Amino acid sequence: MDATNGNGGASKYITLVSKDGFEFVVLREATLCSDYIRGMLRNNMTEARTGRCELQDINGVILEKVVEYFHYWYKYRDREDVPDMEIPVENCLELVVAADYLGMDSKPH
Amino acid sequence: MSRQQNNRAGRQIRGPQSALTDFLASHNISANQIRLDADARRRAAEQENGASSSSNQQQVAEDEVGESSTVTTSVTVTTRTSRRKKDQKVIDKIKASKTYQKRKRNAGEDDADDDLLDTLLRERAPLPGQMDNCANCGKRFTVTAYSRNHPDGGLLCSPCGKEMDKDAPPKKKPAKRAATGPVGRRRQIQSKILDGTFQLGAKSLMTLCIETLAKNIDLAEDLGDLPQPVIDKIARKLSKHRLLNPTTLSLFLQPTADEVCIYDGAKLSADDYIRIFQTVPGLKRLKARNAIHFKDEVMDFLVSRKTELEDLYLHGSNLIAEEKWLEFLEKKGKSLQSLRVYWTDKHFGDSALAALPSSCPSLVRLKACHNQKITGEGINHLAQLHHLKHLSIDLRNHVHSDVYVNVLSSIGPNLETFSITREIELDNTVLDAIHNHCRSLQKLRITDSDVMTDEGFARLFTNWENKCLLFVDLQKCRQVDSANPRQNPDNIGLCDRGFKALMAHSGRKIQHLNVHGCRHISAKAFEEVFPSDGKKVYPELKNLEISFCEEVTDFIVGSIFKCCPNLHELNVFGCMKVKSVRVPKGKILVGVPNALGMVIEGVDDDEE
Repeated sequence: MDATNGNGGASKYITLVSKDGFEFVVLREATLCSDYIRGMLRNNMTEARTGRCELQDINGVILEKVVEYFHYWYKYRDREDVPDMEIPVENCLELVVAADYLGMDSKPH
Repeated sequence: MSRQQNNRAGRQIRGPQSALTDFLASHNISANQIRLDADARRRAAEQENGASSSSNQQQVAEDEVGESSTVTTSVTVTTRTSRRKKDQKVIDKIKASKTYQKRKRNAGEDDADDDLLDTLLRERAPLPGQMDNCANCGKRFTVTAYSRNHPDGGLLCSPCGKEMDKDAPPKKKPAKRAATGPVGRRRQIQSKILDGTFQLGAKSLMTLCIETLAKNIDLAEDLGDLPQPVIDKIARKLSKHRLLNPTTLSLFLQPTADEVCIYDGAKLSADDYIRIFQTVPGLKRLKARNAIHFKDEVMDFLVSRKTELEDLYLHGSNLIAEEKWLEFLEKKGKSLQSLRVYWTDKHFGDSALAALPSSCPSLVRLKACHNQKITGEGINHLAQLHHLKHLSIDLRNHVHSDVYVNVLSSIGPNLETFSITREIELDNTVLDAIHNHCRSLQKLRITDSDVMTDEGFARLFTNWENKCLLFVDLQKCRQVDSANPRQNPDNIGLCDRGFKALMAHSGRKIQHLNVHGCRHISAKAFEEVFPSDGKKVYPELKNLEISFCEEVTDFIVGSIFKCCPNLHELNVFGCMKVKSVRVPKGKILVGVPNALGMVIEGVDDDEE
């Protein structure tokens, strides 16, 4: 399933593809918390037109967790008291690497 | 209680009504109804069990004495069950009726009516203290508040109730409430605001991962090939939880690294510090807080190695003798660019400062905080550190202003940071020296002076050939006289003219301003600096601290929000005239003197 709708990336959704070929369809706005993906979706990039981002360094398991975070982040974007998301201990280090790669660090004021 | 008594007092006993009947009536029990019920039961029993067996009669004899009728218990049970069934039938019939369905549809309610119907038609269970027949074994027993319900209705006697408890699976204990309930969470938010780490929305994925990692750090064997900023974050988080110990220290010692930051080294021994230099031979920057055991033998080892430190930051290392400091500076000072020494009370003194010009020619940053040994004599030697750009001094000995004037006249032109904390006798000559010599200053801190005058500050900031300051901290530069707290005839401290001159000079670029406790800045000066029409704009100002500036009002705070579009945090502790300000979205106002304590964007101040 692909999230493109033929008229140049105007879809509300984009597709993220992991290293091992798993595809995740995510709300476009929810991915904006990643600097890396936001950069990919900026005006003239291929990804912005096709709505399909291939992340060659992240495998499916990790990307699934990242996608879960995207939605968690989107749901709570303007809330004051936010419950913490569960992070599986066994994938913690890989997730740190992915978060670093995708630019998902807290921004200083 | 009193009402009940009144009622009873008002109830007269007349004619054939007995005292018992009256008492029952006062509790809403009709004696007549009881008699009618008993009659009905008796009749029903006679009909159904026309010739009741002798065994049943026997049971009656064994049964409770309270029952005046001759009805057998088994009969009662059957009649009750049948009545219950009948009731259920009636309920079902009503529920199925067309009018009921229609009404229900119109009302749009789902269960409320059903519940009402159920409660109205259900046979009322006996109250505690009354007698009832057990729904299981049929025995008569006294109903208590602890009597269990039978699944098909009715109550159980205590032995049957216990039996049922045994059969039923043990109830799950209610889940433990998390430590951060609604109150805890609110408190945590407020605490984060005060820490300056508050942000709307979820924590970043990185933060979540690092928190999880810190919680399970004992499972980690190796942090792998993480980038330095991430490792630094993990180190901070671990130290915050006081988890940095000899085992976890190993995670941060990568042989290829050039930087090691230990934010809480209290649990490390001298051997652990030596291990740092053994495993990380190319170390360039070392930061160690609470490094109590960074002592002579560690210095000996460091001096004996090839490691060439560029940046040394030691906090609380009181076990290094003065000779070791001198030896270190002499042998390893060549490469040293930054030396920061915090809370070393007695051993880092004048002789170490005297050694700096000859042994550390390339020193750029020097910081000595909470030091009890350095005196004016040592400070004088700093005048020869010609590469110095950042100077921060926080001493316990008083140093005369002349010493600072001497230092400033020599190295002033290069200085970017000049920070003197808690030097109460610092006077206008220092301000004039800054005005005359400093040309590249960005950060200026002079605190607690009660000698400097408004005139001096005004002279400093008027026609100063220095570019805009980015960071200004002039807290508690004010007149202190407990006998006459309001009068300030000599204009001591930062007052109107100095404040206006400061903002006129640096307003364009200033990011951080602290005038905490400068009590004599008038409301007029604030209104002039932050006009209510927002005509003056301070685009870079992010943090403003005006606590204990008594004249600040709601109006001034509102104007400040207008004039500082990028303001992040405004502190107004002790500004008693600030009462209820509307805070724009994205800004934080801390210290409003009401129960709220601090106010954050969007939250209506009116709701208290």
